[in-house]
Amino acid sequence: MAKVKIYTTTTCVYCKMAKEFFKKNNVEYEELDVAKDANARDEMIQKSGQMGVPVIDIDGKVIIGFDEPELKKVLNLP
Amino acid sequence: MYDVIIIGGGPAGCAATVYTARKKLKTLLITESFGGQSIVSDDVQNWIGEKHISGFDLAKKMEDHVRNFPTDVDIKAPELAVGIKTLNCQPDKQNCIFEVISDKGNKYEGKTIILTAGARRRKLGIPGEKEFDGKGVAYCSTCDAPLFAEKKVAVVGGGNAGLEAVQDLFPYAEEIYLLEYSEKLKGDPITQEEIKKNPKLKEIIFNTETVRVNGDKFVTGLIYKNRLSGEEKELKVEGVFIEIGSVPNSEMAKYLVELDKWGQVKIDSKYATTSYPGIFAAGDVTDDPFKQNNISMGDGVKAALSAYAYLLQNK
Repeated sequence: MAKVKIYTTTTCVYCKMAKEFFKKNNVEYEELDVAKDANARDEMIQKSGQMGVPVIDIDGKVIIGFDEPELKKVLNLP
Repeated sequence: MYDVIIIGGGPAGCAATVYTARKKLKTLLITESFGGQSIVSDDVQNWIGEKHISGFDLAKKMEDHVRNFPTDVDIKAPELAVGIKTLNCQPDKQNCIFEVISDKGNKYEGKTIILTAGARRRKLGIPGEKEFDGKGVAYCSTCDAPLFAEKKVAVVGGGNAGLEAVQDLFPYAEEIYLLEYSEKLKGDPITQEEIKKNPKLKEIIFNTETVRVNGDKFVTGLIYKNRLSGEEKELKVEGVFIEIGSVPNSEMAKYLVELDKWGQVKIDSKYATTSYPGIFAAGDVTDDPFKQNNISMGDGVKAALSAYAYLLQNK
């Protein structure tokens, strides 16, 4: 199974949408709240080269924002 | 062939869908997402019947409601309508068949259109804005404010959205500068009073026109001009939050319906009719002066009932 990390803030609705999408499709994920965790924040900015959430890392492939078609493609979902 | 094609799944589109479904009209709802622009709002306090509800929960309720009519309503989501054309009409634009073309290349035919495509954020249109989008330039303060912890930031726009962005940034940013184009703030006086009490708001700068976003990998500053003196200055900030209103998503219909000078679809607010017979419109895509969820819903209902009446007449 793919290793999925999602960088979020608690008030970000696109983060909620992404997490709902993972739950609906039974995708396990690790969530890092960049509002609380400064290390995760730096890691996210370094990985994605930008400062918007959510950032999703699937086995090293970095997706910025909640891009449902792209997530389906990368996770091989129907 | 659908009786009605509804374009956009915000409050206007969802309300229209519920009404066309209950009239047993064969309905297609095509939308990128549900809930409209207030989906990013953390706490909506003016949705009648709910003292507090998040934009996200409100959007889910709308989506659940429109998905409740599977026999009469087809839903294509996420899918974006990019064009509308007429296939064949009787003289004087009567009884047209409309074709909606989507970003996936799909084509859908309908006897009527309800355009509820809403609006999107207006951009500054200055050098550096696009280049540093997401690299300091931000459009969603509820989402991204925490990324600007201990940083100096500018907020452009003194309407309600701008004032709320300042509030969203208070817990995180070190210093905040608010830039307004005119000589006074347009947001609610209550919010103005509140933000002025917080020492993190260093300055409200009036009569400003933004000129350029500077940066290297990320934003390092914002150049602005005093509109009275013409003098240019740089604010050394690492974040620029842009909250300067919205642009209607009317491009797909611009060759068919009349628009006002801001690109808003002109409607007869009594019946939600446009200048083109068989095309109805509601919500933020229209020239209705009040951009509100509750109003969009009501106007969406008008559009649905008008489409129903049109279909009865043109059978």
